[in-house]
Amino acid sequence: MHTKIPLDEDQMPKSWYNILPDLPSPLDPPLHPGTGKPLVPDDLTPIFPMELILQEMSSKRTIDIPAEVQDVLRLWRPSPLYRAHRLEKHLKTPAHIYYKYEGVSPPGSHKPNTAVPQAYYNMKAGIERIATETGAGQWGSALAFATQIFGLECTIYMVRSSYAQKPYRKSMMQVWGAECIPSPSTRTKAGSAVLQKDPETTGSLGIAISEAVEDAATHGNTNYSLGSVLNHVCLHQTVIGLECREQLASVDEYPDVVIGCVGGGSNFAGISFPFAGEKLKGTHKETEIIAVEPASCPTLTKGLFTYDYGDVAGLTPLLKMFTLGHDFVPPSIHAGGLRYHGDNPTISRLVYDGVMKAVSYHQSEVFDAAQTFARTEGIIVAPETSHAVRAAIDEALKCRKSGEKKTILFNCSGHGNFDMSAYDAFYAKQLVDYEYPEQLIRESLSRLPKIPGA
Amino acid sequence: MCTLGFLINPVAGMGGAVGLKGTDGMVEAALSRGAVPRAPGRAKETISLLKGLDIHFLTCSGVMGEDILSEEGISGYEVVYHPETVQTGAPDTMAACRAFLERKADLILFCGGDGTARDIYSVIGDSLPMLGIPAGVKMYSAVFAITPGAAAGILRDGCTPGGKFLFRDAEVMDVDEEAYREGSLRTRLFGIAKSPYRPGLVQGTKQVFEDHDEERAKKDIARFIKEVMEGTPDILYILGPGSTTAAIADEIGIRKTLLGFDAAKGGTLVATDLNEEGLLSLLGGGTRARLVISIIGAQGSVLGRGTQQVSPAVLRIIGRENIIVVATPHKLAETPLVFLDSGDRELDESFGDYISVVSGYRVAQRKRIGKTAGVGEFP
Repeated sequence: MHTKIPLDEDQMPKSWYNILPDLPSPLDPPLHPGTGKPLVPDDLTPIFPMELILQEMSSKRTIDIPAEVQDVLRLWRPSPLYRAHRLEKHLKTPAHIYYKYEGVSPPGSHKPNTAVPQAYYNMKAGIERIATETGAGQWGSALAFATQIFGLECTIYMVRSSYAQKPYRKSMMQVWGAECIPSPSTRTKAGSAVLQKDPETTGSLGIAISEAVEDAATHGNTNYSLGSVLNHVCLHQTVIGLECREQLASVDEYPDVVIGCVGGGSNFAGISFPFAGEKLKGTHKETEIIAVEPASCPTLTKGLFTYDYGDVAGLTPLLKMFTLGHDFVPPSIHAGGLRYHGDNPTISRLVYDGVMKAVSYHQSEVFDAAQTFARTEGIIVAPETSHAVRAAIDEALKCRKSGEKKTILFNCSGHGNFDMSAYDAFYAKQLVDYEYPEQLIRESLSRLPKIPGA
Repeated sequence: MCTLGFLINPVAGMGGAVGLKGTDGMVEAALSRGAVPRAPGRAKETISLLKGLDIHFLTCSGVMGEDILSEEGISGYEVVYHPETVQTGAPDTMAACRAFLERKADLILFCGGDGTARDIYSVIGDSLPMLGIPAGVKMYSAVFAITPGAAAGILRDGCTPGGKFLFRDAEVMDVDEEAYREGSLRTRLFGIAKSPYRPGLVQGTKQVFEDHDEERAKKDIARFIKEVMEGTPDILYILGPGSTTAAIADEIGIRKTLLGFDAAKGGTLVATDLNEEGLLSLLGGGTRARLVISIIGAQGSVLGRGTQQVSPAVLRIIGRENIIVVATPHKLAETPLVFLDSGDRELDESFGDYISVVSGYRVAQRKRIGKTAGVGEFP
C-alpha cells in the first residue's frame, strides 16, 4: 500500500496541456480597456513577451516546455502525490484521498511552475526587469526565485498589509535578489494617487496590480508578470494535473472528484484542466471538479459572469469572467492569495456551463480542516490550501455516509510555514468569518455606470 | 502629563453578591445582608499598575478615591471634591464630575457599574472621555475595560511619554433595576460616551490588520448602506439608535436623532424619534421597509436592549429578511456572540444560529447568535 507515489524525472511532462481547443465553443475574447474592441496580440506587447501572448491565445492542444525551463522545474518536479491513509482512517471514510504536494518547490508553493517559464520567455525577449504584484507573498517569492535564475531584475509591489505582517516572505524575495516595495508606493502614479487620497490605506491586490502594470508600461526594459488569472499562467500549471494523471494510473486509480482552491484560478486550473479536458472529450464524463473559494470573496458562487477589469485602476484588458466588481476590496482574510475579485475566464466559463462546480467556506471552517490535516498527514498547509483540504474532507465524509468508495484528489498547493500567525489567530479564536452580503451589494451596484464594452 | 479625574463608587457591586441584582437605592439592604464593599479593591488593582506614570489625579476625599491613591503611595493627586456624608450616592458622583470638568481633566477613570456610568454621563456627556474599572452588578455599557488590569493597560498606552489615547464611541445603558430584580432585563440606550480603547488587545497574532479606526470603519459602513439605499429608492429605511447608524444618516445628508428610531426614504427624512405606535402607522398599508440597526452595549445585543420601540409587532411587519445589522469590526471583535431578545422567542429563533453583520464597505461578518441572553450574564 503506497503512501508516496513518485514519478521519475524523465516522466516529467514535456509539454503543457492547453484546454482552449477542447472547449465546446471559443471563449469570449478579451477586450481592450480603451476601445472595448477584442484584443490583438500587439495590444499586449508593452507588458508581455510575444511568446506568452501567443500562448495566451493559442489554439494548439499541447505546447512544448522549453528544455531550459524543464531543467529548472526538475529541481522539485515531478512533485510527489500522496495517499492520505491517516486522514482516511481518522475520517473513517471508505474514500481514497490523494493529494498532490506542491509545497516541495523552493518557494514552497505551485507558483514557480509559471514563474520559471515566464522569466525564461522574458529573458529570451531581451527584457531586463520584471515588475509584478504580490498579495500574501507566494507569487512574489516565486518570481524572485525564477528571475534570479535567468539573470533578470525583479520589482515586486507587495500589498502593504502583507508587507508589514509577513516579513519572512519579503526576506525570501530579498535573498533571491528582488526588490520588494510596499504598495501603494510613490513609485507610480497609480500608487501616489491612492496614497494622496488615503495615506493610511492597507493596500489591495488590485492597487498593486495597477502599480506593477504602470511600472512595466512606462519602462522599455521592463515587462509585467501575473501569477494567476491569465490563460498562459493556467497553461504552465497543467504540469500538476498531468503528473497526477500518470501517478494515479500507476496505482490503477482515476479521480472521481478533483478539488482545488481558487483565487485567480491557477493552481485549480493546474490540477483540474487535464481532467476537465477528458470530461469535455467524453472519456471521463462523471468526474466531479470542485473549485473552493472563501465565503468572503465568493467570485464563482456569487459573482456575475460578465466582462470586467483585472485591476482597480482599469488598466488591464476586460475579461469575460465571474467577478465581484473590479473595485471590490475583499476583507482581510488570512488566505491572502484568494482575495481576488475575478477568476480565470476558462474556469469561469466551465463553472458557468456546469462542467465544474464551486463551493465556498468560512475561515474558521477551513482552519479547522487544516488542523485535522496537519495532525494526520503532518503537513501544515497554507491558508489558501486549507480551503481545498476542507472540501476534500467534506467529500470524504459524504462517502462515509453513503458508503461510496470514491477517489478524491486535491491540490495541496503550498505549505503554511510562513503563515503561523494565521494559525495563532485560529487558536486564539480571533478568526473573523467574513461574508459577502450578496443581495445588498447587488442593490448597491444597480445604479453604477456600466463598464464600456461589457 | 495626563490629568485623570478618578472616582470610586464605593458601594458599586455590593448588591450583586447578596442577590439584589444592583445597588441603586439598596445600600442599606445590601449591608444588612452582609455585603462588603467590592469597588475599592477593584480600583486598587488598577491604581497599583499605574505607578511611575506621569499622571496627575483629581479625586474625591476618602473612600471615593483618596484612600486608595494614598494606600498605593501615589502622591500626585489633588482632592477636588469632598462628599458631605459617609454614605455616598449618585449626587456625589455627579458633583465630583462637575469638579473634574472645571479642573479640565483629560479623562475620567471611575470604578463602578452601569449606574455610575449613567450618573457620570449625565454630567459630562461626550465632552470628556470616560473609562470604567468594572465593579458593578451590571455592566451592559460599553465604557468598561474588561478587567481592572486592562483598564491600567489602556491608561498606560495613553499616559506613557509618546503614547496617545485612541477613542471610540461607547454606549451608556440605562437598566431598569426594579424590573431587573423581577427577572426581566429592560435597558435603554442612555447616551453615547467617548471612551479610550486599545486597538486589538492581541494584535500581534493577526496576520492582516484590521482597520481599527472606528470613525473610518463607520464611514465605510455608511458609504455602503448609502449605495444600497440609493439602489432601492422605494424602500423605507428605519435607522435605529447609535453612532454607526448616525454615520449612515450623515452620509446620506439627513439629520438623525442619536438615540431614536428615524425613518428615511429616497434620501429624505420621513420621521424622527418614532415610538412603537409611530412605527406601526408608518409601516401600514404594505409599505416595504428595512430596519438598519446596530449592536448595542457591551453584551452584543441587537434587539431588545435599548430598542423597545421596535416591538415584536413592528419586527413582524418588517420581516426578518429586511433587518440589516451593522457594527464596526472593533465592536464585533469585542462581542463574540450576538444576542437577540426581541420579546418574541419564535422571531428570535427564526434567525437560526448565525446572523450576518455589515462591518465595512461591501463586507459582512458572520456572527454566532448567543442562545442564553440571560439576566446577569456577561461575555
